[in-house]
Amino acid sequence: MKSYAIFLGCTIPARQPNYELSARKTLEKLGVELVDLDNFTCCCPAPIQSINLDSSQAVAAYNICLAEEAGLDIVALCNGCFESLAMANAALKKDKKLKAHINEVLAKVGKEFKGTIEVKDFLQVLMEDIGLEAIKEKVVKPLSSLKVAPFYGCHSLRPSKLLQLDDPERPQIFENLLEALGAEPLEYRNKLKCCGGLLKGISDDTALELAREKLTNTTKAGADCISTLCPFCFVALDIGQIQVKAKFQEVYDMPILHYSELLALALGVDPEELALRSHKIKADKVIEKIA
Amino acid sequence: MSVCTMEQPKVGVFLSDCGKQLSEILDFDALTNFVKGVPNVALIARGSEFWRGKGLQTIVDAVKSGKINRVVVAESITKISDVNIAQAVENAGLNSYLVEVLDIKDHCAWPHRNAPKEATEKAKAMLLSAIERAKLLEPIEKLEFPALKSALIIGGGIGGMQTAVDLADLGFEVNLIEKQPFLGGLAARAGRFFPTDDCAICIQPPSSDVKTITHTSRKCVYRSGFGEIPNLNILTNASVVAVEGVPGNYKVGVEKKPRYVDADKCVACDKCVSVCPVEAPDAYNANLANRKAIYINVPAVHPQVYAIDEDACKFNDCAKCVSVCPTGAIDLDQKPEQVTFNVGSIIVATGFKEFDASAIKEYHYDNYPDVITNLELARMIDGFGPTGGAIVRPSDGKPAKKIVFVQCAGSRDRRYNPYCSGICCMISLKNASLVKEANPDAEISICYIDIRTTGREHEYYYERARDMGIKFVKGRPTEIYADEEKGKLIVDVEDALLKRFLDLEADLVVLATSMVPAEGTAELAELLGLDLEADGFFKEYNAKLRPTETKQKGIFLCGGATFPKDAPTASLHAHSAALKAAKFLNSGKIVKDLRTAYINDEYCGDCEFCPVMCPFGAITLEPTTENHFVARVNDLLCEGCGVCVGTCPLNAIELKNSKSTQLAAQMDALLSVNGTSKPLVLAICCQECGHTAVDSSGMAKMEYPANVRIIKVPCAGIVRVNQILDAFKAGAQGVMIVGCKTDGCHYEVGSENAEKKADSAKVLLKEYGIEPERLEMFKMVYIEGAQFAEAAKMMTERVAKLGPLKLMGDS
Amino acid sequence: MPHHNVKKAEAMSFSEEVTCRHGGETLTACYQCGTCASSCPVARLDSRFNPREVLKLALLGEKDELLSGDAIWLCTSCFNCQERCPQNVEIAELMFTLRNIAIEAGNSPNIYADFGGALLADGRIVAISKFVEKKREEFGLPPLKPVGVEDLNKILEATGFTKPEKKEASQ
Repeated sequence: MKSYAIFLGCTIPARQPNYELSARKTLEKLGVELVDLDNFTCCCPAPIQSINLDSSQAVAAYNICLAEEAGLDIVALCNGCFESLAMANAALKKDKKLKAHINEVLAKVGKEFKGTIEVKDFLQVLMEDIGLEAIKEKVVKPLSSLKVAPFYGCHSLRPSKLLQLDDPERPQIFENLLEALGAEPLEYRNKLKCCGGLLKGISDDTALELAREKLTNTTKAGADCISTLCPFCFVALDIGQIQVKAKFQEVYDMPILHYSELLALALGVDPEELALRSHKIKADKVIEKIA
Repeated sequence: MSVCTMEQPKVGVFLSDCGKQLSEILDFDALTNFVKGVPNVALIARGSEFWRGKGLQTIVDAVKSGKINRVVVAESITKISDVNIAQAVENAGLNSYLVEVLDIKDHCAWPHRNAPKEATEKAKAMLLSAIERAKLLEPIEKLEFPALKSALIIGGGIGGMQTAVDLADLGFEVNLIEKQPFLGGLAARAGRFFPTDDCAICIQPPSSDVKTITHTSRKCVYRSGFGEIPNLNILTNASVVAVEGVPGNYKVGVEKKPRYVDADKCVACDKCVSVCPVEAPDAYNANLANRKAIYINVPAVHPQVYAIDEDACKFNDCAKCVSVCPTGAIDLDQKPEQVTFNVGSIIVATGFKEFDASAIKEYHYDNYPDVITNLELARMIDGFGPTGGAIVRPSDGKPAKKIVFVQCAGSRDRRYNPYCSGICCMISLKNASLVKEANPDAEISICYIDIRTTGREHEYYYERARDMGIKFVKGRPTEIYADEEKGKLIVDVEDALLKRFLDLEADLVVLATSMVPAEGTAELAELLGLDLEADGFFKEYNAKLRPTETKQKGIFLCGGATFPKDAPTASLHAHSAALKAAKFLNSGKIVKDLRTAYINDEYCGDCEFCPVMCPFGAITLEPTTENHFVARVNDLLCEGCGVCVGTCPLNAIELKNSKSTQLAAQMDALLSVNGTSKPLVLAICCQECGHTAVDSSGMAKMEYPANVRIIKVPCAGIVRVNQILDAFKAGAQGVMIVGCKTDGCHYEVGSENAEKKADSAKVLLKEYGIEPERLEMFKMVYIEGAQFAEAAKMMTERVAKLGPLKLMGDS
Repeated sequence: MPHHNVKKAEAMSFSEEVTCRHGGETLTACYQCGTCASSCPVARLDSRFNPREVLKLALLGEKDELLSGDAIWLCTSCFNCQERCPQNVEIAELMFTLRNIAIEAGNSPNIYADFGGALLADGRIVAISKFVEKKREEFGLPPLKPVGVEDLNKILEATGFTKPEKKEASQ
């Protein structure tokens, strides 16, 4: 049984218990053990990188060291955490001088980056450790007739040179995993475009415009729901829908579900156990459709 | 006829005072007395100059009289005087390699003119060094190698064809090998070339006046009589599979794929095409239409013989064409042939091709049929092409009214090809103008990063395009996407000058793709022993002066094989390659001075370093017993650099005329006379660059101290670590190694190797308790004489500060 | 990234300063093709921000405009520009670098002061309230493990991290 250190980050524990719940339940069902390590800190994503890039890289390396010491690869649920940790991991593995420099800093807290573990996102763990066939077999409630608009978010795929998750222009991993659940993944205009989440608090207008564009395009494509990987994207499109309604008087009624939530439903987990109430846009019609 | 040199050396020393210029600085009496005291000096002469006129006659007379069998001349402008003196001495009956010329002006009198006493002492050391070297010199013979008066040209595009005509005209046997069934290369598909906008398959026909073809003619390939030149043998459907031999005598193995149509019988009547039931995508015509399994690309090609696509043809399951052919020209049982050519030289004319833009996923070249390349557009523009000259959308065949060009698709792009391909701006301007001319209602935009119109008459193309109303958008599109509702492609681009985001609608998007080396370039380079540059194109021997030559003496390059070029440049290049090949083959022989490296079998230790290191591939390994092999130097290929000498870990290799005994004698002599208050510094300078920098510092009358003594070697790479240590033992307090710049080393790896050896030597010096800073590697070119003077001064100061050297064992 | 061994000037220009910093190394490779601009989800919607323009200003040394203006804060860090750039310029990273310089000069939207402060205090940028911890129990989620705040602070200090200043007037 493969074990991973689960990296929760800040946003998920604070605001997205639904993501954590569905991730834990599904990985358990699929035979992956999740270990909660002590001392993980904020991964230092974009808001902290904006303050100090050196600090951010060193802190990311520190978190990786914790997993190295436990001999575990990391699975990061949030795209922001995935990017921050995976980029630092790749950069330090490649550049000896940089690694030496960071290790000088880490020595102050008695740590040393060795480059022995991998940082993966949720989809990668499913693909690499479980595989599409095994997932298909475990599906008890196929999501047939469910049209899902997959939304990768920015930081699962880019920058592709360091993250190496999938082809950044024509990724398939999300679509393949949706098909494995019996759902129909949809193509839609500007599928890979940013949700605008990080602009909240800086330029709410632009953030809302970008959320609105995503909602419009997925609706046009005929989606029953949008599936996300990142808690920021989720919030931007979920709460964002309400803000879009307020500003533009447009109602989309487009439920947003993390892939892990769709996976949980397909694996037969009772919807009541998934904290779906925390979604601002209720997922009821999705649940009805797949019943 | 050489004088026997088994006898004792009798050195003649000739001191030139350059019209009394030098005797104002150097004490020539003292020099003469000094030389008198050196053993084996048989004759001393002083004069105003010895490299021509009466002075040169003096030397000749001395040689002829038998008084001397070695010649040492202290002269000036040695690069010229050296040649003159050597020639005269050879004619007088003494091997020219028994002559040593030293530059007493640029290397002594002028740089040290403000310290005449010290200069004189240094001159003594220089003379002693030259004399001691002369005593150890040995005659070097010439050897003749045959050069077959024939050439094999790989590639039948405009470059290959032009070179073929030139060489055939000059009387050489020429074999032109083309891997496609038809000649013409890219030109045949491009239709029209800039800057003349006329036919692309135009070549300069042979100079022989054939009926209707005069000296002034420019004709396309099939009308030029090109195929009828008597000593030009053309093989199509043929590729090179093996290459053996040496310059002047290559054996090239060529595989000829079957055409299945007999060239002697085919009358190009097209009946076979009308009955052929098989259709295949026509790659020549950008897959815009299909063609039959038996085909000819366009009417105007060479040879005018149909060909069968063996991947599409049903052969004897069908054979309809066989029965309908009026001359019985079709033979479905043809087999591949292997042909070997024995030629004196090979010319690579393999050209370039369009980069596969499928890699740029965001441009959707692979999955949107209406995204095409310039060459594909050219097929549509061509009246002989698949659409008869109509510009249409490949997706539905409807006329294309809105056309957007995207420049630099894959060029200037560090993800694909970092270089600028040079010709694509002009190609797009040409194509856009041709389209607009034929379709005045067309709306054409060109998205660019920069417009490059650098050649003669090129700016006119840009002006004309603007005059015709073609729009220019300064911006590189991020993406091309399909708007299904509108039924159009959208080009997503920012016009940087307007700072405005445009969603350009297009029926057709034309990618001006990067140009990359032709298919099979890497494999061919391997076969021929040629280097490729980082961009994948064949490496020119010297980009500035010898762009059509390679480091293989008998192999030349021409046309787009070295880098994308336009037709005028390719034409010039082709003629250059022909000239170089002709010069090489003209006399029918290669005469080589055997100033080459040789291996001492006793020491050769099975290590394989030297074959790898030799820049010219002149060293091979030969088994002598079951478990042992030795290295062997090929005298024809060896360029006498000495890199192998410096490489061999067992010191098993020597270079004639630069033997370690000779260099040791020179070193000892140079360091035996100080005459200054400063510590002696030995500068080992390479003949190609380092030594010339010393020349120029003197010629420009720069000053540096006279304690710096110069020794010349063919290449810095010849220097062995033990020789550096020997220099210190012989009395040098500091050692400089002066070589070419790493990228510009005339022997590729010599300078780099020398630097590595210097680094190793520094480690050893430290072990011996000697300050490693006493040794330093410098890299400079001829015009950097000032740098040499600075370096010499710097080393002198540094070594003076360090104080006298304490060798191990010194008390 | 420098191609040649060019001697460094006495006083570093702004663009040189940027290329010497973490994230800014690739600035001078930019040849203003504008691919980043059309790749950018923000530039189309907000004329205050255009990545090509930001790089141009950095290349020209227009320090003041960049460090005190709004532009550099409007990047959403989606990395689309960096992905598509034909010169492999790390445009998204450059935005961070410019922000780093701006914060050192005392300019930033107030929200960054909040992020910095939260990080130093809790080791998290989003505070976890008691309410949330209780909810975890209800959902059946395991209790959260302690955060390595002490180690974090040591690392932040060793790398020169300072909490951004808060401005009086709203940005």
